[in-house]
This record gives sequence, structure tokens and C-alpha cells, in this order.
Amino acid sequence: MANADGAVFVTKENICDSEFTKQFIADKLQKREDERLAHVQKRKEEKSAVSAAQENTKSFYEQFSKEKNDLENELSLCDSLDKNKLVDKFDEISVMYQKLQRFVTESTMFLPAYDLQQTQENLSKLQTSIQEKRNELIPKKKFAFKSKKKGTVSEKVEEKPKPVLEDEDVLLADCKFSDRNGEQLVMDSTINKKDVALTCLDSCIVKLHGTPSAVHINKLSNCTILSGPVSGSIFIRECKNCTFVVACQQLRIHTTTDTKFYIHVTSRAIIEDCSTVSFGPYNWTYDDIEKHYEMSGLDKRRNSWDDIDDFNWLAADKHSPNWSLIPEDDRKKFT
Amino acid sequence: MGLLTILKKMKQKEKEVRLLMLGLDNAGKTTILKKFNGEDIDKISPTLGFNIKTLEHRGFKLNVWDVGGQKSLRSYWRNYFESTDGLIWVVDSADRMRLQDCKRELHALLVEERLAGATLLVFANKQDLPGALPAADIKKGLDLDEITTHHWLIQGCSAVTGENLLQGIDWIIDDIASRVFTMD
Repeated sequence: MANADGAVFVTKENICDSEFTKQFIADKLQKREDERLAHVQKRKEEKSAVSAAQENTKSFYEQFSKEKNDLENELSLCDSLDKNKLVDKFDEISVMYQKLQRFVTESTMFLPAYDLQQTQENLSKLQTSIQEKRNELIPKKKFAFKSKKKGTVSEKVEEKPKPVLEDEDVLLADCKFSDRNGEQLVMDSTINKKDVALTCLDSCIVKLHGTPSAVHINKLSNCTILSGPVSGSIFIRECKNCTFVVACQQLRIHTTTDTKFYIHVTSRAIIEDCSTVSFGPYNWTYDDIEKHYEMSGLDKRRNSWDDIDDFNWLAADKHSPNWSLIPEDDRKKFT
Repeated sequence: MGLLTILKKMKQKEKEVRLLMLGLDNAGKTTILKKFNGEDIDKISPTLGFNIKTLEHRGFKLNVWDVGGQKSLRSYWRNYFESTDGLIWVVDSADRMRLQDCKRELHALLVEERLAGATLLVFANKQDLPGALPAADIKKGLDLDEITTHHWLIQGCSAVTGENLLQGIDWIIDDIASRVFTMD
């Protein structure tokens, strides 16, 4: 019996114990549940307060127009600002603009499509006005090439404000020769780091003693063109029966026939819609050419004058019929 | 594959942007791409075919397609239109003689159905050259104000100096993001 009693007692005690525990756990759970609910409620309130404040279209517009106004104010201040400070100011403005743009992007989630479109239109107008202001207040320096007789050219011209575009002629680059016949035309080192254009020349000899950044050539016939090292690209099209002696980083030749090229090109030259064009290595020398090579940054050791890509001849196993190499004995010397 | 992996994959995909870079030859498309990626730009040959680069920028994965601009390659441009989020049109601002060609080619692209949803960024490149037309003149020359079918922006820039490349790319990403993705 003792055994049984003991067993009963133990069981009783167990029951008591487990009931007590149950109660305890239930209390604890209830308490936790209350806490959780309170917390959820609190979070909900916080969240709705925040989202009401931020994600509401009205407050978006308030902030947007406030920042937009700030930006426009800054922009209008530029007129009276010192020239030296303008660049910094515009940097500051563009940072403000980017911040505004990011704000719009982040708000796209809750903005209705119509408002979004309106806002983006506003943004792009704003950017245009910033750009226009910038162009107005920090005009690009202009260079005009005058004939050599006038002596010193560039300094004064650069001070002048940008001329308004008038006709097609003005639309051509500043350093240029166009519509000449049977003349010898020379440009000196004033073309360094500038872009040069040659158009509509017949039976002319053109010498460019300098290192331009880029050259555009269009519609020449029976001409000889000699150029110092060009740091960027030369673009030639629609030429007939000419000779080019040029050095450059990139050379593109289009729609050209019966023309000889003596070239130094550090990447690969390409031809397109050309026929009977032939190539030899660059061999022009003049007084400052070494100096100009250095300024242009062209690598003298790298010259793929004999490796031409023909965009109309993509077969790798057969040589293009459109171009050839000038035999060594037939190569001319240029001075 | 767990749920988290799937979610992660979707997330990655979500932030992918496909940019197509086109323009006449000699505009500087490859130079812009290489400069933006911090590569050497002195050894670039005219593009015979195309280049693809995947760049990470501001948490976006940019797939940039740079297709050659030679006349004989332009008929292949349309092979690259599919699922393009942004079109970057590059202009040689110093090439005044071909501005009309440039305008014609651009407007031909804008009527393409497969580019209908794409954002347009026009880079008026080579602003480092003194003979370059400013972006405002390029805008006029290309009749950009006529465009009502696409979000567009013109940005003067120089691939040689890197000036304004970042600003242009940031704009096109923001514009695409605001159309395509819901932000976190």
C-alpha cells in the first residue's frame, strides 16, 4: 500500500504541480499576448503616422516644390555671381538636382501615374533651364582660324561671345578650308588640340603643321593633304584622286576612289564603299613633327598601315579587291 | 532551390537594365563605354560588329550593347532592339556635316515598335573639341523637341575627359527605374 499511497501522493503532487505550471504558463502567455498586441498597435500607429506624412501625394508635392523652388532660387542667384565661383555653383546645383531626381524615383511607388508624368516633365524642364543657364553664363571658348597674314589670332577671338548660328557656312567648324580651287593652303600649330574641317576642295595642296584632335574631310578631288599627328580620329569621305599623308589614332575612309594613303595609324584603319585605294607608311617630316608626336600621344612604334578593315569585304580568307599596298618602289617622299 | 534563393534571383533580375548604344560611326560609342568602365581608350579601333559589357553601377546591373555605326552595319541594328530598356544615341558634336544623317537615323529608330518603351539619352559627345556644337544646337539639329513618344534627355559630354558621362548614365537609370522597378 505504501507503494500505492506513495504512488497516489506522487501523482497528486504531480497534478498540483502541473496545474500550477499550467496557470503560470497561461498567465505568462496572456501577458506576452498583451504585450505583443500593444506593440503591434504601437507599430501600426507609428507606421501610419510616417506613411501618412511621407507617402501622401500632397506632402510629396510640398517637398518637391520646396526643393524645386530652392533650386530655382540658386539658379537665379547665378546671374550676379562672380565668374570664378560659377563652376562650383553649378556643381552644387547639379547635386541638388540629382537629389531631387532621386527623391522622385523613390516616390514612384505611391505616386499616381499622372502625377508621376507631370513631375518628370517638371524635372526635365528644370534640367533644361539649368543647362541653358550654364551655357549662357559659362560660354564655351571659341576659336576661329584666320588667314596667316593677320598674325596673332586666337587670344582676342576667344574673348568674344559665341556668334549666333546664321547659315550653313557658319555651321562648319572653326578651323577649316572650304570651296577652294588650285591653291596651296597651310595651317600652323594654332590648330593644336582643335578640330579641323576640309570640304569641297579641288586641286589643292593642304599642309597641316600641327597636332589637331580630330579632322573631318569631305568632298575633295585631285588634292594632296599632309597632316601632322592627330591625337584622335580622321574621318574622310567622298574623295577622288587624292593623296593623303596622315598620322592618327583612328582612320575611317568612306566612299573614296583612286586615292593613295601614306598613313601612321595606331589602331586599325577602315574603308567602306571604297575602291582602288592603296596604302603605304607615313613618311612626311617637318620641323616640329617630333614635338607634335609627343603632344599627340601617338605611339610611334605602333603602326598598322598595312592592315586595313574593309567593311564591305568580311571574308577573312580572301583579300579585299578594294584596297592594295603601294609597292615600295612607287612610294613618294613628302617634305 | 530554396524560396530565399528564388527571391534573390528575382531580385537580381529586377535590377538588371539593358542599354543599347547606337549612333553614326566615329561618334565615340566604344570610347564612352570603355571610359565609363575605366579602361584604356587609346587603342580603340572602329567597331567591326559589337561589344557587350556588363557593369555594376549604383546597385544596378547594366548590360550595355555597343553596336558599330558604319553604314554597312546599320541594317543589323534592329537585331539588338529586343527588350531594350534604354537607348543611348551618341553624336559627334564636331561633325556638323553629317548632322542631317544623324537626325534621319535617330528618327528612324524612334518609330521602331520594339524600342517603343525605351528611354532615350542623347550624348552630344566630343565637347572637348573647340569646334563642337553645344548640346542646345545638337538638340535643335536633331529636332529632339519633336519627340513625344519617348522620355528623352540630351547631355553634352566628352568621352576623352569623361565629363558628364556619369550624369547621363545616372539620368537614364533613374528614368528606367521609375518606370520599371518598384523601389525597396
